[in-house]
Amino acid sequence: MRVFIAGKGTVSAIGSNCIESWDALRNLRSGIGRISVLPTIYADALPAGEVKFSNKELADIAGMDARTSRTALISAIAAKEALLDSGIDIKKYRTGFISANTVGGMDKTEIVYSEYLTKKSDAQLTGVMHHDSGSITELVADVLGIKDFISTISTACSSSANSMMYGARLIKSNLLDVVIAGGVDSLSRFTISGFNALMILDNKLCVPCDENRNGLNLGEGAGYVVLVSERVAKELGKNLDLILSGYANANDAYHQTASSPEGTGNFLAMTGALKMSALQASQIDYINLHGTGTKNNDLSEGLAVQKVFEKVPFASTTKCFTGHTLGASAGVEAVYSLLSMEHSTIIPNLRFETQMKELNFSPVTTLIENIELNHILSNSFGFGGNCSSLIFSKTTLN
Amino acid sequence: MKNLNETMSVHGDVFINGISCISPQPTFDNALFLAEVKVHSKNKIYTVEPDYSKFLDAIAIRRMSRIVKFGTTAGLTALKESGAEKPDAISTATGYGLLEMSQRFLQDCVASGEGIVSPTTFIQSTHNTVSSNIAIIIGCNAHNNTFSQKGFSFESTLYDAFLMMKEGAQKVLIGAYEEIGEFNYASMLQANELKHEPCNNLETFNYQNDGNILGEGAAFFVLENEKRENTYGKLIGFHTFLSTDDSTIPSMEIETFFQKQGIALTDVDVVLTGVNGKEVFDKALLAVTEKLFTTSTIGAFKHLCGEYMTASAFAFWLAAKMLKTNTVPDVLVLKHANRKPNIILIYNQYLHYHSLMLFKNV
Repeated sequence: MRVFIAGKGTVSAIGSNCIESWDALRNLRSGIGRISVLPTIYADALPAGEVKFSNKELADIAGMDARTSRTALISAIAAKEALLDSGIDIKKYRTGFISANTVGGMDKTEIVYSEYLTKKSDAQLTGVMHHDSGSITELVADVLGIKDFISTISTACSSSANSMMYGARLIKSNLLDVVIAGGVDSLSRFTISGFNALMILDNKLCVPCDENRNGLNLGEGAGYVVLVSERVAKELGKNLDLILSGYANANDAYHQTASSPEGTGNFLAMTGALKMSALQASQIDYINLHGTGTKNNDLSEGLAVQKVFEKVPFASTTKCFTGHTLGASAGVEAVYSLLSMEHSTIIPNLRFETQMKELNFSPVTTLIENIELNHILSNSFGFGGNCSSLIFSKTTLN
Repeated sequence: MKNLNETMSVHGDVFINGISCISPQPTFDNALFLAEVKVHSKNKIYTVEPDYSKFLDAIAIRRMSRIVKFGTTAGLTALKESGAEKPDAISTATGYGLLEMSQRFLQDCVASGEGIVSPTTFIQSTHNTVSSNIAIIIGCNAHNNTFSQKGFSFESTLYDAFLMMKEGAQKVLIGAYEEIGEFNYASMLQANELKHEPCNNLETFNYQNDGNILGEGAAFFVLENEKRENTYGKLIGFHTFLSTDDSTIPSMEIETFFQKQGIALTDVDVVLTGVNGKEVFDKALLAVTEKLFTTSTIGAFKHLCGEYMTASAFAFWLAAKMLKTNTVPDVLVLKHANRKPNIILIYNQYLHYHSLMLFKNV
C-alpha cells in the first residue's frame, strides 16, 4: 500500500511557512546569523539558525498561551500549516500526531532551574511541567484537535525521520488513516552548551561537505508532512502525486556520539530505503544529505553515499540555510525535498569551496531549475548511531 | 464519521520469550516472584539495583548514570534469557528521559554561567542513550527506536514491535526505563501530586493521604513470533485511547476492544489496574473495571513500583510472571475471584492516557 503526502508545513530560520521557506531557498538566502531571541552569552560567538520571532509573537501566530514552551509554539505553527494544506477534516478519519523532539520543554526548565539552584523548593517550579518530550506533542495535539493517537520519537538527529516512518507504518497496517508526522526542536542554552562542549560547533557560518568544514551551526524549527492512506488520498480528490516510497532505520552500533569511519549505519539506512522503494540507486535524482558540517558526519556520510551510488546523483545539504535543527531536521528537510520536487528545482550547498579529499563527488553549488525530480533520498543520522533514510517519489494516484 | 471499531488496537499472537525487570522491588532474580515485598517509607521509591559487574565493565559502571545502568542491564538480561544474541529490532521508551544526567549538565551550565563544561553528562542526557548503548554492546545494526509519550511511551514500542513482526522481524527487544530526578520530584511535590511523608507504598490506596508515590524502574522483553521452551505467555492484543474526562471512563472503549479480540469479559481471569493513589483517578478506573469485569480477580501494581510514565512495563513483567508461574500473588489483589491466571488484562492509566494489554497463557 502506498502512503501519500497530503500536506506539509515548516518553520525555521528561513521562514515561518512553506512559501517563505521556498522563497529563501531558491534565492539562496541563509537564515543563520547572530542569536537575538534566546538570551545566551554565545549570542555573538556562535551563529545559529534562529526562528526570528519572540515567544509572544509565535504564540499569537499559533493561537496559544505565550508562556508555553517555545518548542510547542514552533511545532504548532508548522503542524497547523501542514494540516490546513492537506484540507483534511480530521473528524472524518482516524488521525494520529506522531512528532519528534530532543529538547522537550528544556527552554522553560533551564529558566526555572536557575531559580531552583538558589531558592530550592521555594522556587516556583510549575515551568518544568512540560519538560518531557511527550508534553510538547500533547500540547500541539490539543491545538490540532487530534485525539486518536499521539506519540513522540526521540532518537537524536534522526528523530523526525523515524516519526514519519512510524506514521507510514501505522497507516500501512490500517491502524490509522491520517498521520501528521515530523518533528520540532527549539534552541536552548542547554543544547548550545552541550554541542559547544563536544567542540563540534563552527564559530563562523558552517561549510558542510567542504574539505575545510569546521563544525555545525545549530538551528531551530519544525517540519511536518500529512501522511495519508491511498483510500484517503483518493477521497481528497486532489490528484496527490507524492508518496513516501521507502524508508529504513538502522543503527551504526559504533559509538554514542561518533559515526563509524565507514558509515555502516548510514549505508544500511540508504540501502534499506532503496530496497523498500524497489528502486535502483541510479534512479535517485537528488540526495538531501544529512550534511551537518562536522568532520566526522560529512566524511562517514560521504563514504557511505559513494558505496551506495556508483555514480553519486545531485546532492546537497540545506543545513547551510537553517542550521542543524536536530530532532526537527528530517521533518524540515522532508518538506524542502517535497518543495524541490514540486518546483523541479535543486537547492545548492551554500559557501562550498573545496571538495573533500576522501570523496569523489562534490555537492551541487548552484541552483538547478527545470529538472525532473522523481525520486529524492533524504538522510538523517544522529547520536547513538541512529541512522534513517527516507525516499520521496512522484507517482500517479490512479 | 469514525466509529469505535476503528480505533487503535492490535490483535495477534506474540510470544514473550525473555524478560527482565529492575524495580523498587527485588524483581531482578527471575527465579523468584515477589517472594519478598519491599516496603519503602518515602513518597519516592528507588530501584533495588543489582550487582552490575556481571553485565557491564568497570569503566562503564563508573561513568554511566543509574538509568543507563539499570536500563542497559535489563535489556541485556532479557535478551540473554531468550537466547537471542541480536534482535531484529530494538524499541524502547522513556517518559522523562535521562533526568539525572540532564540535571547534572544543566547544573554545570547554570553554575558556570554557560562556561566551559564537560560533555560527558550531555552525551548521556539524550533519550536514545540506553537503546543505542544496547545496540553498541551487542553490535546490533537493526531498527532502533526510542519513544517518549507519557502514558503511551511503552505502548508505542508495542505498536512498533507488532509492526516490525508483521513486516518480517522474528524477534524484537522492547523495554522501558524511567528514573526519579531530584528536580522533577521537587516540582511534583510542589504541585501536590505526591503523598505526604511518612507514607508506605503498600498503603498507596489509603486516600486519607491522597497522592502518588513516585517510582522508577526498567523492564525489558523479548517478543518473538514462535513459542519456545522458556515462553512466558502470549501478548494477544492491546489498545490505547485518550480520555480527557477524569470522572467517567467510556466503557465502550474496553467493550469494543474485547469484541474485536473475540474474548468475553467473563473470560478474563485477572485485571491489573493502574490505580495510583489519587482518588479522583482511581475511583473512575475501578468503577469501570468493576462494572465490566464482575467475575475477575481485580488487582493493582503501582503500590509496588510507584507511579511513573512507563509503569505499564512493570505490569507487563507481572503479567508474564503470573502466566509462567500460574499464580497471582496476594500482594497484587484488591478483590479476589480465585481464578487461575490464564487470561490477564493490564489496564493502565496515566492521566489522560489509557492502555489495555491482553495476555494469554501457552
